[in-house]
Amino acid sequence: MISKILIVDDSPVARKMLINSIPKDKGYEIFEATNGQEGVAKYQELNPDLVFMDLTMPVLDGYKATAKIIELDKNAIIIVTTADIQPKSISNVMELGAFTLLKKPAKADSIVDAIEKVELKLANK
Amino acid sequence: MIFTQIFDMLDAGIVILDKELHVFKWNRWMATHSNIPPEKIIGESLFTFYPDLNVPWFLRNCKSVFTFGNFAFLSYKLHKYCFPFKSHNSLGYNFTHMQQNCTVGPLRNDDSNIDYIYINVQDVTEVASYEKKLIEMNTRDGLTDIYNRRFFDTRLEEEFVRHKRYDRPMSMIMLDIDFFKDTNDTHGHQAGDFILVSLTKLLSGRLRKTDIFCRYGGEEFCCILPETTIDSARSLANDLLHSVSSNTFVFNDTPIKITISLGVSVLSESTDSAETLLKETDDALYQAKKEGRNKVIVAGDT
Amino acid sequence: MESKAGEIISQEERDILQELMNIAFGNATADLAQVIDIYVQLSVPDIQVVAINKLPDYLKDAINSDSKSSIVEQKFWGSFQGSGLLVFPSGSGMDLLALLHEKESEEEPSNKVPMDLIEKGGLLEISNILIGACIGKFSELLGTFVTYSPPQVFHGNSDECESFINGFNPSQTAIVMKTVFDFQDKNVSGFLLILTGYESLDWLRKALHDFLGSYE
Repeated sequence: MISKILIVDDSPVARKMLINSIPKDKGYEIFEATNGQEGVAKYQELNPDLVFMDLTMPVLDGYKATAKIIELDKNAIIIVTTADIQPKSISNVMELGAFTLLKKPAKADSIVDAIEKVELKLANK
Repeated sequence: MIFTQIFDMLDAGIVILDKELHVFKWNRWMATHSNIPPEKIIGESLFTFYPDLNVPWFLRNCKSVFTFGNFAFLSYKLHKYCFPFKSHNSLGYNFTHMQQNCTVGPLRNDDSNIDYIYINVQDVTEVASYEKKLIEMNTRDGLTDIYNRRFFDTRLEEEFVRHKRYDRPMSMIMLDIDFFKDTNDTHGHQAGDFILVSLTKLLSGRLRKTDIFCRYGGEEFCCILPETTIDSARSLANDLLHSVSSNTFVFNDTPIKITISLGVSVLSESTDSAETLLKETDDALYQAKKEGRNKVIVAGDT
Repeated sequence: MESKAGEIISQEERDILQELMNIAFGNATADLAQVIDIYVQLSVPDIQVVAINKLPDYLKDAINSDSKSSIVEQKFWGSFQGSGLLVFPSGSGMDLLALLHEKESEEEPSNKVPMDLIEKGGLLEISNILIGACIGKFSELLGTFVTYSPPQVFHGNSDECESFINGFNPSQTAIVMKTVFDFQDKNVSGFLLILTGYESLDWLRKALHDFLGSYE
């Protein structure tokens, strides 16, 4: 069961868009971080069940933040969101250990789908 | 009703292609100029009839329009034409084919997706012809029809930069007619003009296609020799010298003999600018004059 | 300049614009690589509101007054209208041609298109596609589409450049979006400016809010 979701993205609008697409009736607690470094820190502090990670961010980018979090917790579930979905980028990200990748702008149903997949994975543990 | 009529009335070509670049529509203008009726080409790949368009630049531009909805502008200046049609314009004799400006643009359906693209073909042969004429008038000497000083100055800079960049040998010959004023005084100015025209014809015949020969001043000429070493240049200069001194020009039954003086130089590592090369060549020409004319002096020879 | 920004577009509108540009450019680069086989990196755009009378200075700084730099300008029209400007450092023409895999023409020397014209053609083609990709994706996100004028090329510091810069109405404001592009394989980089003027502002503000609204 997902209870805590962490959204890491330097764009306040992107965070807003994501938050608005996450189902409101499931009682998820949503937290935000504005760059990769803050994201890693908040992960350690909050230990969320699911992370949405943007790739292009200042201070620490999404690639590095993803790698760091997985290093800290190999069971971390990270969904990467990015506008640039070239095959090269996709394989790079999956190799790091991301759960899946969502293309921006992500429509509400693809976000809901992704969350359901995560729920399924957690339920099967 | 009106729009369908415009499609065939327009004095311009319209071709509509689908995603596979098969012809969806072919308007009357295209049919008339290609001699291919719509029934024959609709449904077929464009390349069945126009295989020369099956090349990267055309494919890339079409793909771009389908993907981004931008317009591709295919100018006659770069491509000359997309469709090899004959020109029906009276100035068309200047070109092998009709010169065309083509625009490729997106056609959207109700969902705003781009299912088709159009190619608009404009006949710009007349414009191309005038442009060609304008350029010629701007770069050619009126009397002799070889290049003029203005063209020379531009080309010199370009050739200099290119040869310097790729470390290629480039030479220059500067020549002028000895005692030309006397020739004019003795035989008249019309004879003088005749000599200028005949001389340039004679010399042009001995130069190579890549050489840039121009009228630099009244009786002074300059020649840029791309990809030419000093030895080849020296040899060429001597050939020019002898071809002139051994020639008898005949004007109105009067035989006239002239000689020329030539200065030659080559681009070296120390040549820092085109002007320097020009000066060296000019100095060599001056030396030739000083040493009695009808002579070739090569800069740098001791 | 900062206080003016509050009047022309609000901070929220600016944030939406920023995210939209990120998405548009990201999508554009992905398509450019896959569909057109051109691999280019676009940096996260920097957005500024510039008073038109300050635009000449901004542009001169941006272009760095390098008289050898090549500038391609293309106007676009629609509810959202303005100009796209690509600034390439001098000498990029030849490197870009390699990008297009253009082979040497096999034609007669006298019939051949001169090299500088081919270089120019390469510059124009890449610019047309790059500007079309960025503006195309951006318009698509906002639910509109634009039409384009043919692109033009001129050199920094030339008369055409001067006249382009002076062609803007001094009483207006422009939103300037600047991104650095990088053709890594070919070691060519430059930057892209999208300028949109005063006429589009009302439409743009509404479109930005509508965009965010569709995610609520």
